[in-house]
Amino acid sequence: MLNAMAQREMTTMLRRRRMMALQCGLVIFFAILVAVRWPTDARVALTGTRSQQVFQLFGYGLLATVLLLLPVFPATSIVREKKQGTLELLLNTTMGSWRIFFGKLFAVMALAGIILAMSLPAASACYAMGGLSLYGDLWRMYQLLLLVALLFSVLGLLVSSYSNSIDSAVRVTYGLVLCLSILSLGPHYFFQGTKGTLADLGEILRGVSPFAAMMSLTGAGDVGSQGIISQSNLLGRFTVSSLIISAIAGLWTISRLNHKIFDASRPAGTISDDQALGVRFFRRLFFLVDPQRRSGGISSLVNPVMVKEFRCRRFGRLHWLLRLVAICAVLSLGLTYATTAGTLDWGVETIGGIMVVMQVALVVLITPSLSAGLISSERESRGWQLLQTTPMSIGRIVWGKLLSVILPLLLILCATLPGYVVMVYIEPGMTGQVWKVVICLGITAVFAMLLSAAVGSLFSRTAAATAAAYGVLLSICAVPLLFWLGRDAPFGHGTVEKALSINPIAAALSVIRMPGFQNYSLIPANWWFLGGTSVVCLLVLLTQTYRISRPR
Amino acid sequence: MTTSNRPLAAAAGAPVLVIENLTKQYGSFTALNDLNLTLNAGQILGLIGPNGAGKTTTIKILVGLIRPTSGKASIAGVDCVSDASKIKRMVGYMPDTFGSYDNMRVREYLDFFGAAFGIAPRIRAKRIEEVMETTGTAYMKDRFVESLSHGMQQRVGLARTMLHDPKVLILDEPVNGLDPQARIEMRDLLIQLADRGKTLLVTSHILPELARICDRIAIMTHGKLRAYGTVEEIGRQVSQQRTIESTLVSAEQVPAAANLIRQAIEPGADVVEVPAEATVRFRTAKSEAELCQVLTRLIQGQIQVTQFREVQTDLEEAFMSFARPQEAIAAKPVVTGGTTHA
Repeated sequence: MLNAMAQREMTTMLRRRRMMALQCGLVIFFAILVAVRWPTDARVALTGTRSQQVFQLFGYGLLATVLLLLPVFPATSIVREKKQGTLELLLNTTMGSWRIFFGKLFAVMALAGIILAMSLPAASACYAMGGLSLYGDLWRMYQLLLLVALLFSVLGLLVSSYSNSIDSAVRVTYGLVLCLSILSLGPHYFFQGTKGTLADLGEILRGVSPFAAMMSLTGAGDVGSQGIISQSNLLGRFTVSSLIISAIAGLWTISRLNHKIFDASRPAGTISDDQALGVRFFRRLFFLVDPQRRSGGISSLVNPVMVKEFRCRRFGRLHWLLRLVAICAVLSLGLTYATTAGTLDWGVETIGGIMVVMQVALVVLITPSLSAGLISSERESRGWQLLQTTPMSIGRIVWGKLLSVILPLLLILCATLPGYVVMVYIEPGMTGQVWKVVICLGITAVFAMLLSAAVGSLFSRTAAATAAAYGVLLSICAVPLLFWLGRDAPFGHGTVEKALSINPIAAALSVIRMPGFQNYSLIPANWWFLGGTSVVCLLVLLTQTYRISRPR
Repeated sequence: MTTSNRPLAAAAGAPVLVIENLTKQYGSFTALNDLNLTLNAGQILGLIGPNGAGKTTTIKILVGLIRPTSGKASIAGVDCVSDASKIKRMVGYMPDTFGSYDNMRVREYLDFFGAAFGIAPRIRAKRIEEVMETTGTAYMKDRFVESLSHGMQQRVGLARTMLHDPKVLILDEPVNGLDPQARIEMRDLLIQLADRGKTLLVTSHILPELARICDRIAIMTHGKLRAYGTVEEIGRQVSQQRTIESTLVSAEQVPAAANLIRQAIEPGADVVEVPAEATVRFRTAKSEAELCQVLTRLIQGQIQVTQFREVQTDLEEAFMSFARPQEAIAAKPVVTGGTTHA
């Protein structure tokens, strides 16, 4: 039975042409990764430094590949069955929830195995250069990558069992990837070298990040170590934490795979307006803007598509936007307060850096989820056909959709402005820098929105659109940072600067003179790149929208 | 024979929907082949045909979603291809899929489409109330559209189609998946709309429903129009032959009666014995007077006949005779003067 489940899952995943293209692409990518650092001079380096440099780059590349490619498969696995009605059929067979779960997990892990197998020729080339240990380096790297694949496969399946739509499953899973891989490194960066609960918490959190484990394995040192040498066994800690999290998430998912998953009535459509006065009062008090109140008609002054987009998003209703804005404002002011109160001796630049990272992380995390499905969700729900039969022009429809992304992004960005105002008040000399940072963030938001919308418009399914948009955006944000991590060796200043010039995070951090980025001059090259790419993306979006809208 | 419930519709107004030599080709595949149709104001046209017959292609050309390769289609004199924006205001289109949005209540859903059609907010609110009243969806106005049952969604879909008060309603499979009661309600609703002067083009696979409500039926197969007219006219077009059924007192007399009938009608004609029903059924092109002689021969042959009547061709039979692929007809064993036992 396990075989039947796993076989079906694998056949579904592997028989697509895209998968074949992906495998070929991976082989080429890994080959290029090794080839660019392959020694070309006649001398032999006996120290093995060169092969270590190649190994570092190769390791990060593989880790990024696993993190970007794999989670979409488990994330869509259960929710797709739920949507298609095949989960009911599966649960109605004699196959138990354990077999369903392990069948699905096995298939995803087999896919991870295929992806890793594609890298073996490149890994052999690394090994052939000398200076690498088969067990100490290569085997442990693959062991780490398999653990990463296991962790995010199980988490993806758990998210999938809770989701009601495929795209929300993809969004939440990639959100988890970002949180566990990158954001978990943040507290350690800021609290390292200090003592206390926050420092301990930062150290524990770092243990769940695969990046920290990979850095420790490749000998890249601690993340942004600020000159402090740490002796922690990060690989061991990641192994333990990933296995514990995988076991808990796995058992949790198995416990969900039964009749309870369907045991819910249709929403009754309760409306506060029909409730007692007391209930209405408390709901107003609690929500400020009650999501269950009867909404008014769409004004003739606003774009109806924009209103529709807000209304049909789970977090698009006003009370959610207000909550998000409030959290951003409190965090931004809290960070600035921490500096002025003198409890943390970080300096204004570091605080500015944290705010920039926080804002860009929010933009990168939220924008594709808002923007990638603008066109594909309409096509998938067959709403596009209905929109086409209304007198609204394509330009108006697209503008309405873009507005529905621009407004929440503007709110989020504006919510963090008070922090900058306080910063300028503390350090008036930073006014120019703050202005540049604000421009950077604005351009980043526009870039992320148009890139996600353009990539998403190429797909007819929202899940694929969302995954592709996240993949492209995270690649643009993450890949140049790999070059930055390899600054001094193997990459020189010029190479790193060129790579970082396409990265919106790095540009903002360099402007605010965040330690580690202060030596790179990325403006205005970054603005030109982001602006130019945004224009191209807008053209792609319009062309694609026109193409699918015109009568065939 | 099931006939339209709307005898007065025959006196409907001037042509509203005119299709002339409409052809649509996808490469070498012809989806629609030289289609000609006319429909008067206030009439209901039922478009039927097997899957892939070209029904949806025709509908999509009419609502401006597809361009024809050649030919013309117009609604109230407005060209469906060159004046698509005008057509959108004149036509209400309900596709065979609902087109749901997440987290939207029924009222919000209708409000959005009302706004998309540019209806001013005040008029829109009133109009939403009206269409919800007409389609019986008022009680579900606060429900989420994605949580509605299929029947409810069909009603909301129809309400959406009527929002901008279009002259022509084009409904793709409106009764598909509905339970019998909902089907009857939908049928009454469509008749009500036609009585209000709306022109309706409806596709359906549930043929008795169409037979009851449609003033005109068009049968399409392989992109071609095979028959067009009222249900009665189509029945006549199907075959010049009539099916006659003779019911006897005793099943034992069935073989003898079948022999007598075979001698009296055309050689090789199809004669079916149904002993279980004590009935003999046969197809013939004989006139009323000649059929009278057949009956006389049965009586003279000591056959005790309780009924001798013509079985009228219904829409289903007509549809099957057109929809049956030519290859299948060729492959079907031909009964030549023999007896086929049912």
